[in-house]
Amino acid sequence: MSRLDWGVLISTIAFIVLYGVWKTRKAQHMSGYLRADNTERWWMMGLSIMATQASAITFLSTPGQAFADGMRFIQFYFGLPLAMVVLSITAIPIYYRLKVFTAYEYLESRFDLKTRSLAAFLFLVQRGLSTGITIYAPAIILSAILGWNLTGTILFIGVVVTFYTVVGGTKAVSQTQRLQMAVMLGGMLVAAIVVVRLLPPEVGFSEAMAVAGSSGKLNLVDLSFNPNDRYNLWSGLIGGFFLSLSYFGTDQSQVGRYLGGETIAQSRLGLLMNGLVKVPMQFLILLVGVLVFVFYQFYQPPLYFNQQHTQNVLASTAAPAWRSLEEQDKQVFQAKKEATLALVQAHREKDAGAEEQAAQRMEQAENSRKELRTQAQELVKAHNQGTDMKDTDYVFLTFVTQQLPKGLVGLLLAVVLCAAMGSTASAFNSLASTTVVDVYKRSLKPNASDDHYVKASRWFTIGWGAVSIFFALFASQLENLIQAVNILGSLFYGTILGVFIAAFYFKRLQGHAVFWAAVVTQLLIFLLYYQTEIAYLWYNLIGVALVVSIGFLLQPLARKQA
Amino acid sequence: MTKGDIDPPPFFKTWKAMYWLVLGVLAGLILVFYLITQAYS
Repeated sequence: MSRLDWGVLISTIAFIVLYGVWKTRKAQHMSGYLRADNTERWWMMGLSIMATQASAITFLSTPGQAFADGMRFIQFYFGLPLAMVVLSITAIPIYYRLKVFTAYEYLESRFDLKTRSLAAFLFLVQRGLSTGITIYAPAIILSAILGWNLTGTILFIGVVVTFYTVVGGTKAVSQTQRLQMAVMLGGMLVAAIVVVRLLPPEVGFSEAMAVAGSSGKLNLVDLSFNPNDRYNLWSGLIGGFFLSLSYFGTDQSQVGRYLGGETIAQSRLGLLMNGLVKVPMQFLILLVGVLVFVFYQFYQPPLYFNQQHTQNVLASTAAPAWRSLEEQDKQVFQAKKEATLALVQAHREKDAGAEEQAAQRMEQAENSRKELRTQAQELVKAHNQGTDMKDTDYVFLTFVTQQLPKGLVGLLLAVVLCAAMGSTASAFNSLASTTVVDVYKRSLKPNASDDHYVKASRWFTIGWGAVSIFFALFASQLENLIQAVNILGSLFYGTILGVFIAAFYFKRLQGHAVFWAAVVTQLLIFLLYYQTEIAYLWYNLIGVALVVSIGFLLQPLARKQA
Repeated sequence: MTKGDIDPPPFFKTWKAMYWLVLGVLAGLILVFYLITQAYS
């Protein structure tokens, strides 16, 4: 990396952190520290909500996903705007009326202490584990591509985020996130423009889209209904709706963002801004991935994008086999490049027949390349123990470091680090506030001073920071843990949402019945996960249906017992 | 409830209109995405 890139990266991160600390340096009381004194404007909350959701993996994995699988991942976000509307109408007025610090506080006033504690516990377990991964995932990719020290990268992200979250609480998280969001959106927009400019002179945006379309990458909407298929219109609208309801309505890392609003109207506008901007933003990120795919139709890509794994193969007895695969790949690439240029020519001349023929040649070459990549993956697997074979997470950063001009590399790396820091800060802040409000203050030390709880919040932030850093360091020993924790999170959300839906909409249901319904539902969801192939998005809907229906079944028994 | 609950959103007289804007934009985007998919499939 050049000095200019280091300069851009360090100055961007340093400015954001120092700005956040400086803006929130004054002593705070509990309402200020955990709820920003209800001073947040709607656009600040909107940016904060988006920055919380956009982790570094959003900017690393999503373009890679478009590169490999096309743009159909966009459907995952179709349910989000619907959820923003429903939460604006229902959840926000309730949270404001009760003046809660956390979403789980509401459950005690509606049901009882044990239901509140169960929901808070599920959140702490799920968010506590996944925050370690939020730090670890970008660190492993940055270290593999840039040669950075993995432990050092994890410690840097974890310690810097813990520092400014401890100092400024919710206000610091929000102040830094708006700048981080500006860097992220600006960086991705610049990346999209630069990729198009790096294409050969005869390939403009229109031709790039023709190449992407012929390769099946512009598969934005799939109307077919298949419950085992993760991304289609219906799983996106229905499954995505329930997932978004759960994430934005019951996960304290998001609820904490909009509880800091000046008024109900401001909080609603913050959520609705997310509903308006999120889908176009994801479209932009996926489009960048598709444009990177088009770029690599004209310039030879590596056979395998994780260079660290490639080096391990080259250092083994399989090196000759690997070099042979690379030679074959070069020939296949040349054939594919010629077919792609023929397609571009046909597209410009509006010759549909020639375009069709070129597309078929491209497909044949692509199939040959897939076979070579499968063989390469087998070699990687044999010489990298316990390794995840997926190299799509490395595509975008490989492109950035190898193809972008000096200065822009630093900016795009700042995008990744900003995303990692923004989502991690919200997680630390929400873990600390839930621990203080729902456990420490409620059950352990109920009558202490306001100052005491602020101090406790700071110590719990440090504690959760340490736990997450430790988990991130530990995760480096267990590659497949990333997938395990992602699935773990999605398995819990349905139950938590079910409890909240029962609280919001089913007035007849009482605490005892809902508590046991939630326990039974959680066990049933684990059972479904191990026994069926249902795509994880559907667990949210299933969780809600089970909590409500089992709750109604148990309600007469619970009433008798009472 | 606070006073903010009855504040109308900017540019609109009612919250209902604001919600329809969000849903309308979503419907429009899905339609555009569907047309792109069809055009390039």
